[in-house]
Amino acid sequence: MTDPMQAVQEFILGRNPALDRVSEDLDLIDSRAINSLAFVEFIFLLEELTGESIDPEDLDLDDFRTLDALEARFFKKEAAR
Amino acid sequence: MAVREIEPVVLELDRLEQLAESGYYNPYTMFDWPDTIEPDKPWMSEHLTTLGGTPMWDELTREQQLALTRFEAINFFSLNIHGIRELMSDVVMRIHEKTYADVSEFLHHFIGEENEHMWFFAQFCLRYGGKLYPAQPTLKADSVEHLSPIARELIVFARILIFEEIVDHYNAYMATDQTLPHIAREINRVHHQDESRHVAFGRMVFTNLLGQLVKRDPDEAPVVAEYLENYLQYSIGTLYNPAAYRDAGIPDALALRRKALAHPVRVEAHDQVLKRTRKFLSKSGVGRETIKR
Repeated sequence: MTDPMQAVQEFILGRNPALDRVSEDLDLIDSRAINSLAFVEFIFLLEELTGESIDPEDLDLDDFRTLDALEARFFKKEAAR
Repeated sequence: MAVREIEPVVLELDRLEQLAESGYYNPYTMFDWPDTIEPDKPWMSEHLTTLGGTPMWDELTREQQLALTRFEAINFFSLNIHGIRELMSDVVMRIHEKTYADVSEFLHHFIGEENEHMWFFAQFCLRYGGKLYPAQPTLKADSVEHLSPIARELIVFARILIFEEIVDHYNAYMATDQTLPHIAREINRVHHQDESRHVAFGRMVFTNLLGQLVKRDPDEAPVVAEYLENYLQYSIGTLYNPAAYRDAGIPDALALRRKALAHPVRVEAHDQVLKRTRKFLSKSGVGRETIKR
């Protein structure tokens, strides 16, 4: 199985040609690496990677700020299973 | 709002105002809503569905194909409803700003007509589909705060214009598609008729605001062009709703969505949908060819 965080990074790099890499602590929101127009696609990617639907009402902006935050919110549960 | 920094938008709108007045109709009485719709008719033109023209469409049973036209029609009208809610709130906030004093008369027509469109789209969804699809999830952060006030103002009206032009591509075809139920055709026809005025107005506002932007800082035009290209792609993406695939009984909705969005037949279809808008943006000097990578 491919590492889901690798897919997350590839998504971000694909939409931000100016970025060489996504550092762990880059603020993805403030840097606009993930912006409002990419957000829906990003949610669908996360749903596909986690196999679970995401309730838009249940979203916290801070869960999307860094790669670490994304991993903790969407992928750590899976690793612990 | 930073509208004070924007120069007054002065446009020649007499003809559009006259057309809005002479073409005024009562949306609440003009449609003949049947109790049910013929079960064997598509609600959306088949080639305009998101699987139209692909092998994925051919692999569906006829029941799934018809279900997809139904749920994608509900999705299309739901997108209209949410888009109208968003644009109405933006326009209402500006209607008595000094910047828009000269166009305020037309903005009143615009808001009134948009409210009526929202009503008949919702009637169709609720009567025959029993629901609306919810609005797309949004990022609770401002993605344009790095832009100048005039660029942000331009983007408000550009989003309205792009949204209307994309929708109109679908309406224009479905207005005369004899395979559709009469009520679906009528809604598309009436919307297409009003939107031609709104698109004409939208292009005039866009041109005015872009002129102001270029006069102040021509280097910002390519930045706006990049935003608009992303907005075009975003708008196409919203038509591909995995919930509609699931409702139509089609498995692996997310993987199917990804596959369909990238399918060469669909990419060509997207180009057709966006052709008119891209031509206008290029002619205006903010086409995708101007984006600095």
